[in-house]
Amino acid sequence: MRTLAIYSNKGGVGKTATAVNLSYLAAQAGVKTLICDLDPQSSATYYFRIKPKLNYGPKGFIKGGEKINKAIKGTDYKDLDLLPADFTLRHLEAAIYKFKHPKERLKKIIKLFEAEYDLIIFDCPVTISILADNIFHASEFILVPLIPTTLSVRTYRQLLAFCRKNNYDTGKIYAFFSMVDRRKNMHMELMAKMVKEYDGVLRSLIPYLSQIERMGIDRRPVAASAPESVASKAYRNLWVKFQKTALANKRF
Amino acid sequence: MDNHLKFSLPDGYNQQQLAGALADHYAIKKEQPVLMSMAIYDTFDWRLFNKSLVLYTFENSLFLRNLFKNNIIQSAVITLPPVFIWDFPDSKLKAQLSTVLKMRALLRLTELHSRSTVHRILNQDEKTVARLVSEEFRSERGKNAPVLAAYLWLQPVKGYTKDCRHLTKRLEATGCALLKKEDIYFKAIEAAGLNSDSYSSKLKIQLDPAMRSDEATKIILRYLLQIMKVNEAHLEKDLDTEFLHDFRVAIRRTRSALGQIKSVFPQKPTSRFKKDFSFVGQLSNPLRDLDVYLLKADAFKAMLPTALRDDIDPLFDYLRKNRSKALQKFIRSLQSKRYGQIMQDWEAFLDEPVQDPPLACNAKVPIIAFARKRIYKQYRRIVKDGSRTIENTEDEKLHALRIACKKLRYLMEFFSSLFPSKKINILIAQLRTLQDNLGDFNDLCVQEEYLLNIAEEPLTTGHKQKKILVAIGSLIGTLEGEKQIIKDTFAQTFADYASPPNKIAFSELFASKQKETVR
Ligand SMILES: Nc1ncnc2c1ncn2[C@@H]1O[C@H](COP(=O)(O)OP(=O)(O)OP(=O)(O)O)[C@@H](O)[C@H]1O
Ligand SMILES: [Mg+2]
Repeated sequence: MRTLAIYSNKGGVGKTATAVNLSYLAAQAGVKTLICDLDPQSSATYYFRIKPKLNYGPKGFIKGGEKINKAIKGTDYKDLDLLPADFTLRHLEAAIYKFKHPKERLKKIIKLFEAEYDLIIFDCPVTISILADNIFHASEFILVPLIPTTLSVRTYRQLLAFCRKNNYDTGKIYAFFSMVDRRKNMHMELMAKMVKEYDGVLRSLIPYLSQIERMGIDRRPVAASAPESVASKAYRNLWVKFQKTALANKRF
Repeated sequence: MDNHLKFSLPDGYNQQQLAGALADHYAIKKEQPVLMSMAIYDTFDWRLFNKSLVLYTFENSLFLRNLFKNNIIQSAVITLPPVFIWDFPDSKLKAQLSTVLKMRALLRLTELHSRSTVHRILNQDEKTVARLVSEEFRSERGKNAPVLAAYLWLQPVKGYTKDCRHLTKRLEATGCALLKKEDIYFKAIEAAGLNSDSYSSKLKIQLDPAMRSDEATKIILRYLLQIMKVNEAHLEKDLDTEFLHDFRVAIRRTRSALGQIKSVFPQKPTSRFKKDFSFVGQLSNPLRDLDVYLLKADAFKAMLPTALRDDIDPLFDYLRKNRSKALQKFIRSLQSKRYGQIMQDWEAFLDEPVQDPPLACNAKVPIIAFARKRIYKQYRRIVKDGSRTIENTEDEKLHALRIACKKLRYLMEFFSSLFPSKKINILIAQLRTLQDNLGDFNDLCVQEEYLLNIAEEPLTTGHKQKKILVAIGSLIGTLEGEKQIIKDTFAQTFADYASPPNKIAFSELFASKQKETVR
């Protein structure tokens, strides 16, 4: 089982849009995939038309076990299931501290899925505290969407610093450019600079596209509703690049 | 797939009804129908069916599932239609089926065409909560071909069990019935005019204990004739080696019955047909020998040191060439006048009603008395001879004992319906262990001799001929070693067989209880 977090310490950068589309594309390829919505706003859950309703609250979640398995819902797509989020998850961080080894709770919870899924994708809320630690422990790979702006780049540096300080392997962090506007010179310049400056920046970008914004109305991954669209192709390309680089074409 | 529920559709059920039944709660979204064409395979003697397995091809893959189940146990991609297990790609499928199929050819039994339409069942959020799949099966392609069966599948979506229960109730309320013990396999087979009881190489003869011996014997012999005829019809096609094998076993059993079930028929026809079937049996001896050595090719090669392994290949090429000649010759002999006359006369003889008053002294003896006496006598003889053989395991003695065991085995199988099946099956299984030991020994002796003889023939030329002789020599050495190993285990195997509990079981089942007049 492989584990991938779509993570950023910055909000509104396209994490959920990416998590939803990549999980769909993986499942389409026959990879048994579970998308875990960790965000109390439960946007990923919403995109799949699933009700944001958990029976166990943050404490139940962090305890793990069979209850979690029961909360999983099949999506409309073959080989793709979703673990929904709901608003109670906003207390997740507080709940985590009540357990022993608080940084490794998430890792422990997903052990349960080892037999059933080939891939777990986490859709993460913005966090840089204990939940971030959990995500870093639980995930083999961290994929970070980057909007090519100076502020974004600054947050990315902060993230790398955080990892170094906590001794997390920065080798598992991959970034790609999100919501790119090719007409903006600043976007182009920053991207060129970043690619030079950092390892692990994938040569793949997701343009700023209204099709992607419309997913909120469609409530379907754009890769499913418009498989031939530019947006869909961009996500496909990202998924291919990720597999080639991070997974080095290893099989699921 | 294991959690898919299968429903029957009431006659004339249509989609409007379905939509109507669900409309107040769910919306239905119909997808494009999907067509699937499958071909179902099994061996002539239904080896897969007898293990509750269904093997079928779909597009370029082979799939294996259990009867009454939907989930695929194994699958493999293939380039050609499957025939022999050794043609299968290396896979778990091959591993699982090799012990079942062995040397039997797979036959394409029938085709099955399915047309399935998925109806997604949507809740208020237009989220799919289940799929209802209507599926029609036909034996022929095309919408106009008659429908063998139509089902409705309810495929739950994980996490929506409540909806699934709800839908089940709705479906049942509209007249759909949940089906558990049903498999389209049976309908497909039936539509193809096939029957999974049609053939088995095991004897399934039903006798009545009080029956006259001559009548019972005719039932046995007619059964064997039927086996001969069924297999004979396939010999020319040369699909696999087992048609001939079963054909020959039926002949051997016939000869054994004629020899062992004594004085139930008049002397004259008995000795005539004994001679005739000895002749018929010999017709295929050369072909069967070649089959045996060719089937053993891989095993022989494995016995050789690696350096010699490929040197033996010309032998098998030579045998293969001889085999096609032997086959032609054998097929011609089946078309000969003599063979035809024998089979015709034999059938006429078996169809004659039994004579009253009888012409042979044991004809009217109840078959149960006859069976007891013959089996028990044969058993005691084996125990006596075997005990002597333990002291002196000469090849000839082992050979004679093997024949005696085979005779006993045939008797027990002919008459098994006369005895409690559990008890007699245990005794047959014990006998089989002894027979395996003796049989293995005999096979090695025969193989050794065959190799010695064939070494005198020009298998190939020049340098290669010298190399092949070295390989054959090495093979004979190995066979000789194995022979000794088997011989060494004989004493224990026999002691087990002749053990007191076994003797008691035999005498309980077969020692005569009343005084019967069996001569
Ligand atoms: N490439 C894109 N082009 C245009 N709009 C986009 C693109 N990617 C995401 N969006 C839109 O931007 C908004 C934020 O995206 P998204 O929810 O994926 O980001 P996020 O990082 O998950 O946000 P949050 O931090 O709130 O979880 C959404 O309305 C989404 O539809
Ligand atoms: Mg989000």
